[in-house]
Amino acid sequence: MDQDSSAYDSLAVRPLPKWLTDQRDGLTKIQPATIEMKEDRSLAISFIFTGAIIILAIALLTVIILRKKKKNST
Amino acid sequence: MRILILAAILSLACTTKVSEWVLLNAPANQYTLIYFYNGQINETARNQNASIGREIKPANIEFRSVEKKDIGQPFYALYYGNRLFRRYNDPKDLIGLTVSPLRKKIASEIMTGKLCVLTYLTTGNKEKDEKGMQIIQKALGDSPFKNIITVVELSRSSVEESHFVSLLLNVEDDLKTIPEPMLFGVFGRFKALEPLLGKGITEENIRLMIDFLTADCSCLIKDNLPGTDILFTNSWDNPTIALVNKILDENPSLLHH
Repeated sequence: MDQDSSAYDSLAVRPLPKWLTDQRDGLTKIQPATIEMKEDRSLAISFIFTGAIIILAIALLTVIILRKKKKNST
Repeated sequence: MRILILAAILSLACTTKVSEWVLLNAPANQYTLIYFYNGQINETARNQNASIGREIKPANIEFRSVEKKDIGQPFYALYYGNRLFRRYNDPKDLIGLTVSPLRKKIASEIMTGKLCVLTYLTTGNKEKDEKGMQIIQKALGDSPFKNIITVVELSRSSVEESHFVSLLLNVEDDLKTIPEPMLFGVFGRFKALEPLLGKGITEENIRLMIDFLTADCSCLIKDNLPGTDILFTNSWDNPTIALVNKILDENPSLLHH
């Protein structure tokens, strides 16, 4: 290891062994993948979609009923 | 789906501890002993070399002769990779190069399932040596792994273990110039970690050494194993199951990754 392989002016400035600093800093562990939170729009989309279906169904039924009524009156 | 994939990856991760994984899977790196000569090798030297070759063959070392034009007297040089560890002018200096009583004891401790052997290299300065030893004993006394760690003391001036001392002092280039007590963690197939020395021998650093050896062996460690393999004659087949596993099974709170 390069950081350990040369002589130093004094013992005080001589670095600790790399295995020791890695262990201390947690660098010998596999770092877990960072999970990033993304904006979740699925609920809004679901509401919009459901609302649109309901409106469409009401409109369709209204048209059908009105036509039926018109037909009956004639 | 992402969680499932992550769980699958984690389940495949290695849970073998560093000390055990290195003992079972990491063969010791080879040394090279070179006999440098100029001209012809005489009969006496040839016989001597044959005898040396036979003696060191079971160890992690290769022996060969190389002709070198610019030398007066032949000599032997010990290399670890491309690092020159020591030069020997007399073949008698090679006696006990690959084996010694303390190295046998350390290997035997490792083979019985011990986590590591802390080899304390003393300087002869009583005050410094005793201070370091007190810290080691305090650190181990507080450790749940104290019963599976052996401490051995080795004097820097030991004649019987002079080769072992020399090998330890070559773990890093500047150790020979530092007159401080040193603590080497020896594990696996006689791998010596870069030592804690002088004021670096602290309870916290000893705890970190134990943490390193008891952690799961991640690919990050496997790909870049620290330490230097010490020259030694031993068969590393069929070691006893690592005792660390029993301690961790009984105390899951000690598990760390």
